[in-house]
Amino acid sequence: MRHLLIALLLPTSALAGVDEVIDSHILPGYAGFAAATAALSQSAAQDCTAPALQPAYHAAFDAWMGVSHITLGPIEEGGLRQQIAFWPDAKNSTGRHLGALLAAEDSAVDRPESFAEVSIAARGLFALERMLYEADLNGYAAGSYPCHLVQAISADLAASGQSLTEGWESEHAETLRSAGAAGNNTYLSEREALQALYTALLTGLEFDKDARLAQPLGSFERPRPRRAEARRSGRSLRNVTLSLTALRDLAEHLTQGQSPQTRAAFDRAITAAEKLDDPVFEGVNDPSSRLKVEILQQSIASVSEAIQIEIGPLLGVSAGFNALDGD
Amino acid sequence: MRGPKNGQIKTDRRGFLTGLLAASLAPRLTWADAGDPAYLAAAREADGTFALFGLSLNGTDLFRIPLPARGHAAAAHPTRPEAVAFARRPGTYALVINCVDGNVMHRLTAPKGRHFYGHGTFIDDDTLCCTENDVATGEGRISLWSRSAGYARIGDIPSGGIGPHDIKLMPDGKTLVVANGGILTHPDTGREKLNLDTMRPNLSYVDPASGPVETITLPPELHQNSIRHLDLRADGLVAFAMQWEGELGAPVPLLGLHIRGPNPIDAEPILAEPAPADLAALKGYAGSVSFDGTGKRIAITSPVGGKMLVHDLEGGDWLWPRRDVCGVASSPSGFLVTDGLGGVFRIIGEQAENLALANRAWDNHLVKIG
Repeated sequence: MRHLLIALLLPTSALAGVDEVIDSHILPGYAGFAAATAALSQSAAQDCTAPALQPAYHAAFDAWMGVSHITLGPIEEGGLRQQIAFWPDAKNSTGRHLGALLAAEDSAVDRPESFAEVSIAARGLFALERMLYEADLNGYAAGSYPCHLVQAISADLAASGQSLTEGWESEHAETLRSAGAAGNNTYLSEREALQALYTALLTGLEFDKDARLAQPLGSFERPRPRRAEARRSGRSLRNVTLSLTALRDLAEHLTQGQSPQTRAAFDRAITAAEKLDDPVFEGVNDPSSRLKVEILQQSIASVSEAIQIEIGPLLGVSAGFNALDGD
Repeated sequence: MRGPKNGQIKTDRRGFLTGLLAASLAPRLTWADAGDPAYLAAAREADGTFALFGLSLNGTDLFRIPLPARGHAAAAHPTRPEAVAFARRPGTYALVINCVDGNVMHRLTAPKGRHFYGHGTFIDDDTLCCTENDVATGEGRISLWSRSAGYARIGDIPSGGIGPHDIKLMPDGKTLVVANGGILTHPDTGREKLNLDTMRPNLSYVDPASGPVETITLPPELHQNSIRHLDLRADGLVAFAMQWEGELGAPVPLLGLHIRGPNPIDAEPILAEPAPADLAALKGYAGSVSFDGTGKRIAITSPVGGKMLVHDLEGGDWLWPRRDVCGVASSPSGFLVTDGLGGVFRIIGEQAENLALANRAWDNHLVKIG
């Protein structure tokens, strides 16, 4: 009875929005990531050298930005998110763990099962980035130990991509669609499905603002440009732009186009990102160019506000009661 | 579920006598008169108001008492059906609520220059202890209140650190254990953290008559790991949960264990080391901690990460995803868990069973009675 009542109170469009997100955003996003990481792995198998592999790395990272904000489903299992993208990394765990593997020529790279036991800091996109872009690492030859390591990282990413898309196709899409049905222990009501997607939307924006931008900004007295995400491969700003674009797509599908203020706020933020001529946020050191990064950060905060004013009431959900007000 | 009922004393022509009788009977009320709840939990209702609930072992509502505002934790009297509901930090009041009729029996008000930190505990049938901030000095204090004196304030002692949060009574029945979170705040700036660079949390054992008798600290590199919540096992093993205030990076421990030994100097805390990926999923934040009913497993919850992590003391850990999960307490063979989506779950082994789902948001803590 209680479930029925909640269902009746929800606008029908809201529930249709869940279906639309699954079909038009999540499933194609993961299929894209699986395809891009499979291509990366094949490319590494053919030619592991850094110049040859860099384009496939960028394509895989671009695809990841289409789904990196999806916080529900199989990504929640076994720390897959950190395994794919271990960042922020203030203590240089990736550098240290890669260094240890390289120094020991650890045979874990020989088999996927043994590589799966390697520290998550030495796996995924950020480990691969070091191997392909760090000047003292990326000069390796085909057939060398570093080459095998790069192949192992690429194959591991492809396995993750495959398991995520399979997990959604075979199970989690249906679990999310059947929110509130008897026996669904993951989403106990339809409202919980909306809540999960709404939370993913806000958390994604928060990560752009409080990690991707706040890390390099540091403080005015002490900017930290070297903390910019994926700066070695020159993708710091690109990741923000792609993330915002993916989040705008999620918001559009979730509300079936019924959130014009949110749309406008996203457009302003994405325009601000596109206008910024500072690919790895080196400008944070200079007061005037720093201001532009701060303006982008503020424009992302405005998107979050628009979402909470417009989409929250539309869907009848609010951000986490405890998550936002812990103690 | 039944609503709060008025006293069970009949009004009749001997009203005056009955009134006297009621006065003498009232102190004999027990938790059974409130429906024998196993737990207390506060919640925000769908209409935006707040209430305190009594829950059975199976997670069903036994009573509901409206609260004037959002609370934090509650302290349950060991035998009497009285709950002390604390205002959110930095609140200056706490309400003593009769859980049989829903009436506010007393209002505890922090003296000028003090505020509560949101937790408290009874140390015997008569004495309530609350964590407090001495605003002028920033020193953590523990205030003592006497039930038999109408919940009058009868004294206070140092907590052994800055920013005391959770407080529990050790199994010896006479020593307190306090989580001094280390974070300095001032009511003028709300919850703004004023000393993150120099904070130094600790776990203090405190004699209610005198003050701290033993203090446990973290290794220097973890000085920004705020010790905030506690649970105890019958043998005195203390589990403490932490919240990381430092920079993002490799995940830091969020659960620590300590047991007092004959030689305090030897008694280093043990920090749990779950799989790094599981720890990372908690996003540096543990909101509640509890042993399970067997004493062999310990759960910490992270509403921020939407996960509960269960550590098995014999090795291994298990991560359970649940959005906005926070309240956790022991149940006979496992845990009872509440979340901000209105769910109540029983966890046994690696199985989560949904016991209830209400259109309300359960607040941070689930408090076990007795």
